[in-house]
Amino acid sequence: GVLAHLEMLEARAHEAAVKQEETEQQEEKLARLRARVQELRRRRDELRAKVDLQEKGQPGKEGVGSDPAQPSARAVVEWKIKSVKAMLQIFYLTGISGKLTKQGVCFCISTAYEGTYLDSYYLDLLIQPEVRIHRHSVPVFIPLEQIAKKYLQTDIRRFLSVLSDHLNAYAGRRYQADQLQERFSDQIEGTLQRNSLCNLLVFNYDVSSTSKSFPFSARLLYGDLCCSLPTEVVVSCARDAPASLAETAAAHSDLFRRTALHKAFGS
Amino acid sequence: MDNSICQAYEEIQSLEEEIKILTEKYDDNQQESTFFSDKEILMSIKSFQREFQGESKGHESPSDLKAQLESLEREISFLMKFTGIQFTSHSKKTVEKTRNKTVQKHRVSGNCHSLSFQLEFQLLEVQNKENVSAVITDLSIIMESGEHSVMSKFVSSTEERGNLLTFFRSLSSYAEWYEHRRCTFLHFK
Repeated sequence: GVLAHLEMLEARAHEAAVKQEETEQQEEKLARLRARVQELRRRRDELRAKVDLQEKGQPGKEGVGSDPAQPSARAVVEWKIKSVKAMLQIFYLTGISGKLTKQGVCFCISTAYEGTYLDSYYLDLLIQPEVRIHRHSVPVFIPLEQIAKKYLQTDIRRFLSVLSDHLNAYAGRRYQADQLQERFSDQIEGTLQRNSLCNLLVFNYDVSSTSKSFPFSARLLYGDLCCSLPTEVVVSCARDAPASLAETAAAHSDLFRRTALHKAFGS
Repeated sequence: MDNSICQAYEEIQSLEEEIKILTEKYDDNQQESTFFSDKEILMSIKSFQREFQGESKGHESPSDLKAQLESLEREISFLMKFTGIQFTSHSKKTVEKTRNKTVQKHRVSGNCHSLSFQLEFQLLEVQNKENVSAVITDLSIIMESGEHSVMSKFVSSTEERGNLLTFFRSLSSYAEWYEHRRCTFLHFK
């Protein structure tokens, strides 16, 4: 009776108290978060104003360091460091860059196809007692040992240059094949077949992207490993195909020999 | 209540992102619009070391920064000597910067042995899952060809295709060959 009733009231009061506390905590949390939002908004607006001033060409008003008119010595040194780093980045774009190491040099050969930069490859060279390759990331199908044997001891620059030619040609061939597969997959039957060196490509294709048959059969051989255009192209079609198709095949054969594969398909 | 808290978190995140981008933009603008001569830099290094004997926490010490600069300069000096490509000036301007993408306009001048060049190009860098991809557009190459007429034809075709890397590799080979030839001729005079 009364005891049970009292217990129930007590329980209810307890529940209410707990809820009250929770609500207060939530409100506190929200207040803290809102304060942070205000602070961040202030900082953001401040930065926006500073950037606007910069872009209107009024340097010095925001200041670098404590003295707005004269940058601090630290700021000047930091500026120079960033500046040299930026120049090192340009070296990367030239195709051959590197870093001196304790035992020699670590070269980085970058590859590109026209304006698009592709993978880069590393060569860690030791220079004592003679120049030799310590570690590298050159793929196994590139004739690195052959090239090293010929040039590494006598002319490192030539060695890197020849290696760069091989790597760039490989990267260029791979890029063309990738682009063809990616952009013209509906004109090609299945997947383009290629070897790891990407100097042998075989595929069946059609000129239209909507047809279901692939009357043309192409085989491209890139005999010159330092070149990204094929030396031998065979485009054939079925023996019973009409003469016009055979003519087209011959024209394509010529086209693929002169133009990059993905560009030929794009024309 | 939960909704308001959620909204507050979202706004905080978006503001922090905005602040990060604005800070980078401010720093980039500062970097790209200033220029200090080598003399000013040497003077700064000296005064920097004098002023701050016990540097405040959170900043690199003067000797650390000096060491870093010297190491970077050694690297550049080695590369220029080894490749024969000397850059005499370089300036860049960040044209666009978002979380994943940066577009910069670069202006570089220099020489390779006796051949001098001036380049301008736009570099687009995109951060994707594994690496950063780089693409060159709007390449413009100025070279005084003079007796190197074979270079001018080559220059216009590389310019058209944005072939910056090929330009440098070929320039390097040609310049070295030309230099070698010049020395040989002098030897026989």
